[in-house]
Amino acid sequence: MRQSFSEWTKSGAPWVWLNAGAVAICLIMVVGLLSLIAVRGLGHFWPADIVQTTYVDNGHSTRLIGERVQTQDVPVEQLSDSGIKVTEGVETMQRTLMKVGNRDHGGTDFIWVLDAFMQDSSKPDMLFAAERREWGNFYGYLRSIKEDGKEVAAHQGYDRSAEYEALWNQFQQRIERALNIHDQIKDIEKGQIGSINYELERLRLKERSLQLKEVTDSARYQAIDDRRAELNAEYESLQGTLLDLYTAFNRDSITAEISSGKIVEFKVASVVRAFLPNEMGIGGKIGHYFAKIWEFLSDDPREANTEGGIFPAIYGTVLMVIIMSVLVTPFGVVAAVYLREYAKQGFITRVIRIAVNNLAGVPSIVYGVFGLGFFVYFLGGHVDDLFFPEAKPAPTFGTPGLMWASITLALLTVPVVIVATEEGLTRIPRAIREGSLALGATKFETLIKIVIPMASPAIMTGVILAIARAAGEVAPLMLVGVVKLAPSLPLDGNYPFLHLDQKFMHLGFHIYDVGFQSPNVEAARPLVYATALLLVAVIAALNLSAIQIRNHLREKYKALEM
Amino acid sequence: MTSEAKTHAIDISSMQRDSRILNLEDETLALKVNDLKLSYGDNEALHGINMRIPKNRVTAFIGPSGCGKSTLLRCFNRMNDLVDDCSITGEILLDENNIYERSVDIAELRRRVGMVFQKPNPFPKSIYENVAYGLRIQGVTKKRVIDETVEWALKSAALWDEVKDRLHESALGMSGGQQQRLVIARTIAVKPEVLLLDEPASALDPISTLKIEELIHELKNDFTIVIVTHNMQQAARVSDYTAFMYMGDLIEFGVTDTLFTNPEKKQTEDYITGRYG
Repeated sequence: MRQSFSEWTKSGAPWVWLNAGAVAICLIMVVGLLSLIAVRGLGHFWPADIVQTTYVDNGHSTRLIGERVQTQDVPVEQLSDSGIKVTEGVETMQRTLMKVGNRDHGGTDFIWVLDAFMQDSSKPDMLFAAERREWGNFYGYLRSIKEDGKEVAAHQGYDRSAEYEALWNQFQQRIERALNIHDQIKDIEKGQIGSINYELERLRLKERSLQLKEVTDSARYQAIDDRRAELNAEYESLQGTLLDLYTAFNRDSITAEISSGKIVEFKVASVVRAFLPNEMGIGGKIGHYFAKIWEFLSDDPREANTEGGIFPAIYGTVLMVIIMSVLVTPFGVVAAVYLREYAKQGFITRVIRIAVNNLAGVPSIVYGVFGLGFFVYFLGGHVDDLFFPEAKPAPTFGTPGLMWASITLALLTVPVVIVATEEGLTRIPRAIREGSLALGATKFETLIKIVIPMASPAIMTGVILAIARAAGEVAPLMLVGVVKLAPSLPLDGNYPFLHLDQKFMHLGFHIYDVGFQSPNVEAARPLVYATALLLVAVIAALNLSAIQIRNHLREKYKALEM
Repeated sequence: MTSEAKTHAIDISSMQRDSRILNLEDETLALKVNDLKLSYGDNEALHGINMRIPKNRVTAFIGPSGCGKSTLLRCFNRMNDLVDDCSITGEILLDENNIYERSVDIAELRRRVGMVFQKPNPFPKSIYENVAYGLRIQGVTKKRVIDETVEWALKSAALWDEVKDRLHESALGMSGGQQQRLVIARTIAVKPEVLLLDEPASALDPISTLKIEELIHELKNDFTIVIVTHNMQQAARVSDYTAFMYMGDLIEFGVTDTLFTNPEKKQTEDYITGRYG
């Protein structure tokens, strides 16, 4: 049976389609966004094959070794304008971005090459890639291994052979050994010497504070001097150990042939890992992939944040959000209780409520400016004058740091918590409050024992929204406490463990820094996607745990459905 | 179900009032209302009520909707204080002290004058904690005292046998009738002198209603009970005295039997014979 258009409209079918369409578009956009950053970000950790090719340009022929990163089509006019001899009769030519590495020898580690000029491309098994602590990746053929400058093993040739593999295995063993020593060195430098330095600094401040208080009791100065001497002795002995370790660390070096045919030498100590991507099976590649992801999640950044991991940024983000939640929840709840329960409802409370709601719409950078001006300089300055005079003129709290960042974000998100809590309070049935009052409870007791616990799911909703907003905020943090690279974690083993005055790293800022402030844009781009994905994951994890708590509370206080 | 209904039928017959003839003049008074006027904003809801409520008796307030019976009931424990634009003149004497005196501690007053509402309003806590709530508010911390009081209150509210094995489960899992008896147990656990019941059975099924009525009969030995009801049969069944109110005035107050069989005022007669309301 045919249906007329007006009947079809009246039936509501187009309306349903419109609704469903809107939902579908939202879903597609969210999924698309996540997939884009996931593919771009996670793809970075996959070990790409190394291509060796002969590049013929203007009769010049050079050997090129590197990873293919990206290909694109370019119009030939553009190429001929820049003086490149192009093939006649075509409109576009394909060009490829190659990661050639070896920044210490070639200057740049990424170059664009035209596919048409490449000849005899191959993927030799014994081409190796090495990730180094500085100068980026290295690509080449292993030639010899040296110990204390003396050659202990060598091999010529490009093809796979038993001797070559033996040489390679020896190289791997020596990397293993160097990594072990590196761990020990790091342990001593960051852990033990770090603690000694921290305690020495505290001793200096203690002494300074005694001087400021004009204490003349020499026994107390003596105690400080004694402890300092003890620490210095400890430091000397550690320094000795370190010296030995460094000598052992720098013992080995290798020589390798790079694309230009030159033989170069570098220390095994500078290698983080070396591998033969062309020879790796799928299993080996997967193993390598997860090792890289783990490194990304758990290590400190290297090379101006373009290599290594982002653990300090994850740590800083989570810690800051937790401190922010701990601050914002009681503050918002108390304010909402006053507004809803105690204040006389009228014109003024209405104005206040509108003001609070609008506060949520103030651009976050404004909060950053306020935080810097009021919290950091004014409050922080006074806190330093009162409590930390011994550290002056170096500021303790009078400089951006974790505490001020958390407080600024708490201020930024408090309207959300107030609104959600008020909503929750209004939804508590009058009968329940009256029941409590009729038993002789005061208003305060009713609030504490009945009303606020029953409103706690709504309060948690507010906290969830606050977390979602605060975790993604970057602009205000740049003013009140985030840095590109923090030397130590804000929560560690040194007394008093939580260092609220320290600056910290943050995933959001890390994205900005790596993406836009990095000296090596090509190397940094995949990390921007990976970090963005991680930021989304961290926020989702924080939110999910808050939602878990809320569901638990809802289950407990489900009387609201009465 | 039928056997249960039967037992109730027997119970009702045993619920007949004391055989001796009641007389308001002989009673000890629990509450005395003198010229009580109450208005919400400009709208006067009670126009000068005078009333005497006898001790250890059940007094019922009847009347059509909006006649002010619930409003009057809520004056006895100052629940109307929670309404923003409510103003009250006149006095209510509890033990010869005006409860509207400035010096009165409202929390203390509400401990002495307990109230049960129309809809069951258990707290989202366990059955035990619901009953213990009033005690904890009073600062009782000894577990033994609380245990004993909870048991006594639940037994008095005829709920003990049904819940003794699940005292620590949520009160929200109980049926409506059980919840209302729990609320009564919660209220009597603080041992008030007066128990105000605001249409306590109106949200319940007939069997639960009967149980509540039985309970009222039991409780009157220990408490003065004031009950608001729109159900005249219920008033006739459970109360010793009845007050008929109409449009914010107390029309007639007297012994229930007399009021229902031989009312003095024409308005009362019209109402109880169902001519309006």
